[in-house]
Amino acid sequence: MPDMPFQRALRNSVQEVLEKMFFVEPLEEPPAEAESPDEEMAVQLAFDGVPSGALTLRVSNAAARQIAADFLGEDESGLCSGQVEEVVRELANMICGSVLSRVESTATFRLSPPRLLVPREGQNRQEAAELRAVHAVAIGSGTLTASVETRDPVCPAVEKSAS
Amino acid sequence: MAYRVLIVDDSPAMRNFVRRVMELSGFDLAVCFEAGDGGEALKVLSSEWVDAILTDINMPGMDGEEFLRRLSADEILKSIPAIVISTDATRNRMDRLTTLGARGYITKPFVPEDLREVLERTLGDPNA
Repeated sequence: MPDMPFQRALRNSVQEVLEKMFFVEPLEEPPAEAESPDEEMAVQLAFDGVPSGALTLRVSNAAARQIAADFLGEDESGLCSGQVEEVVRELANMICGSVLSRVESTATFRLSPPRLLVPREGQNRQEAAELRAVHAVAIGSGTLTASVETRDPVCPAVEKSAS
Repeated sequence: MAYRVLIVDDSPAMRNFVRRVMELSGFDLAVCFEAGDGGEALKVLSSEWVDAILTDINMPGMDGEEFLRRLSADEILKSIPAIVISTDATRNRMDRLTTLGARGYITKPFVPEDLREVLERTLGDPNA
């Protein structure tokens, strides 16, 4: 069952990051059908703080190329896969930082470098992790799905240093 | 007045974006230097003077916090205003970076006007 503050934070973060940094206006409509893992790119980054957990971003290849082109100010046809991957990692990093800053503005979090998942990796959640929020949007002819899992309870009053 | 700016970020895509946004915002950019972490940035600063530094925090190698410490400990470099660009908008982090010497803070996501406003406020708006 999604956690409402996390769900709201994730929804607003995805929207704001895509609009401000990627010049993309996502449509909030559920994808007609799930992308095949072979046709999408997935990255995950862990965060350590209160709570700790991970954000996973799954982006269809079509949406990933559009996002990368808009971010880099280049034509899609001129992009190499490494550039697209780097931009998707940066997108995941921004969404995660934005979500955590909204959910817990007084704590300090440490974010791990986003890592690319191999196809089908990370589709089954770890037993100890709790799904907090999932948000999917349509971008052009593709889709983007972000999800947040946590391992610890959310304790707004607790503070943890990143050092 | 055109400014010389150093962008410090481990992501070439992000450095490219920040430079492009500075230009789009109408900020008067004369020269833009780039570095992938704090160590590379210090090397650039050993041979080039800049008017402002825009730095990320989470970087492999020398991270942004250590970079700010090194700047503050240097009698010459500490006069260069350093502005942090980060996804972390938590109060604790902002306070700590200010203590370390950051003169401004820009939270990702941002629009071109945000970047220009912080740069001009930090450098002193030439039109003010």
